[in-house]
Amino acid sequence: MNPAKEWRTFKAVFLRNLKLFTSYSAWIVAILIWPIPLLAVNIYSYKALGTDASISSIVSREFGISNFAGMVIIGTIVYLLYNRLLWGAGISLQSERWMGTIEALFMTPANRMTVLFACGVSSLIEGSWWIGCIFILSWMIFGVEPSITSWVAIAAGILSTMVALISVGVFFASFFVLTRAADQMASALQAPIRFFSGVVFPISALPQLLQFISYILPVTYGIQAMRKAVLTGGDVASISYELALLYVFALGLTVAGYFTLKALEKQAKRKGTLYMY
Amino acid sequence: MRTRRGSPLASPAVQVRNLTKVFEKAQKPQKGVAAALRGKIRPLKEKIAAVDHVNFEIREGEFFGLLGPNGAGKTTTIKLLCTLLVPDEGNASVNGFDVAKQAEQVRKSLGVVTGGERGLYWRLTGRENLWFFSQLYNVPGDVARPRIDALLRLVELQDRADEQVEKYSRGMKQRLHVIKGLVNDPPILLLDEPTLGLDPSSARVIRDFVKERLQKEQHKTILHTTHYMEEADQLCDRIAIIDHGKIIALDTPANLKKSIQKLEVARIQVTQFNPSDQESIKTIERVKEAVVEYTDPTVGAGQITIHAENLDEVIPRLTELLVKGGAKIIALQESKPSLEDVFISMTGRRLKE
Repeated sequence: MNPAKEWRTFKAVFLRNLKLFTSYSAWIVAILIWPIPLLAVNIYSYKALGTDASISSIVSREFGISNFAGMVIIGTIVYLLYNRLLWGAGISLQSERWMGTIEALFMTPANRMTVLFACGVSSLIEGSWWIGCIFILSWMIFGVEPSITSWVAIAAGILSTMVALISVGVFFASFFVLTRAADQMASALQAPIRFFSGVVFPISALPQLLQFISYILPVTYGIQAMRKAVLTGGDVASISYELALLYVFALGLTVAGYFTLKALEKQAKRKGTLYMY
Repeated sequence: MRTRRGSPLASPAVQVRNLTKVFEKAQKPQKGVAAALRGKIRPLKEKIAAVDHVNFEIREGEFFGLLGPNGAGKTTTIKLLCTLLVPDEGNASVNGFDVAKQAEQVRKSLGVVTGGERGLYWRLTGRENLWFFSQLYNVPGDVARPRIDALLRLVELQDRADEQVEKYSRGMKQRLHVIKGLVNDPPILLLDEPTLGLDPSSARVIRDFVKERLQKEQHKTILHTTHYMEEADQLCDRIAIIDHGKIIALDTPANLKKSIQKLEVARIQVTQFNPSDQESIKTIERVKEAVVEYTDPTVGAGQITIHAENLDEVIPRLTELLVKGGAKIIALQESKPSLEDVFISMTGRRLKE
């Protein structure tokens, strides 16, 4: 591997993605608006059941999280990051198909994994700033008081979640090389991930059988780590289990993505489906 | 033979041996619910050889043409050579590297230019497109910047280089396509229908550029696919004629035309031609081939191309037959054989069909 070559590829793809993203200004406005009602629906679903104090008391007793609005906000933010990766990096190769550039890209000697990682990082950067805005805004609207004792734990939680989510994006992108229906598959994956990873409720609320599915999703551990660090004053030691699992997922999905991409690219080249819409 | 840049061997620039690519195509479902269901569960597929045991070599610095009608296998051949497809049989090497086993080295050795609107990021500027691809080819920034400026000047796009590609005309996009294939300064260029759909003036600019600048000045090895016979005739040192995935002739344009020189060619402009007379024309003694190209089929208007061994004998019988069938002869011209005639004599069809 030639680091200078990989860096050139990474930088070129990253900058191209940011340029393409910022050339659609209407989209930026749209994605700033839609998560707020999404959060509001989730939080008011709880509020409809009683006073804030009574609901917080029940949630705290049952699940050990005292702040239900904070629980929903953290869950939604991590989910939005996942969603951004799925629709950014995950369908990056499908987007190349739509733009008519996938063949031009695959004719270059650039390392495909570097291309996909650059797509993942750019998706994250694109998503992070508006997710940050929503985070601050929703905190102000719903008046959530964070309980933070370790900023290192928060930084570690964010970093580990991002690394794991980038690998999720890389894995999906690899998998979507073969299919021409990446957008439909990405849509189909939205609701199940939102449900099983406990975006708006703790996964302990799920029946035991369904919890097994939650445990195989990296989004679950990202949400758990961030909830502990932001809402219950958790330090690095208290989230180390989640952090370790996030890195295991990152490694596993990257390796799986590499071999999937290799195998599916070969199959697409054999069948001649690489360029088809 | 000297060793090319980046090449491990003193072999031909491009070598193709028994190259074969077979695609599966789903057959139309049969009528009836049961048959339709069966077709969904286990669709019947037929195998089509898009490229069928093709052999050729391209020498260093040669301008080599692949001429054939749409669907003949030209683009599939290009895709096999630039590693977008893997061969089912046979092998090919580019710059001495095997396309199946040394794909990365093959890609480094190539510049590929496709025709049409695809392959560029329309929301980026022309310069940004070139920069992006130069980086993917690992060209250092201090080399890429002056090279991109020079390339933009070569095709007279320097004044529009910082505009988004979506604002370019078709001809400008195509010029950008051509120089995009040169950002890595490759020794070998694959040009896949680079003038497709361009107006005559834009097509001429591209043709002059690839012939004069790329081949004559920069000594690039060029594989050019086209279904425009005049273009192949004008540009190529040697031409392989491809039809239904097979190479049916390979030689210099002059030699290909010489191969049918014993035949005389006549082109007759007609109206009110009766299509059923086409087969009758072929029965006239000494007529070897008769092909009709309609300009307006509703009124039987078009051109009949005749290949015959002795036109002096054939023309009176032909005119008699046409007039008897109700056709009106507008013009009759004897001409020298073209590459189109070579194709007709070999396949009984026109290139543009």
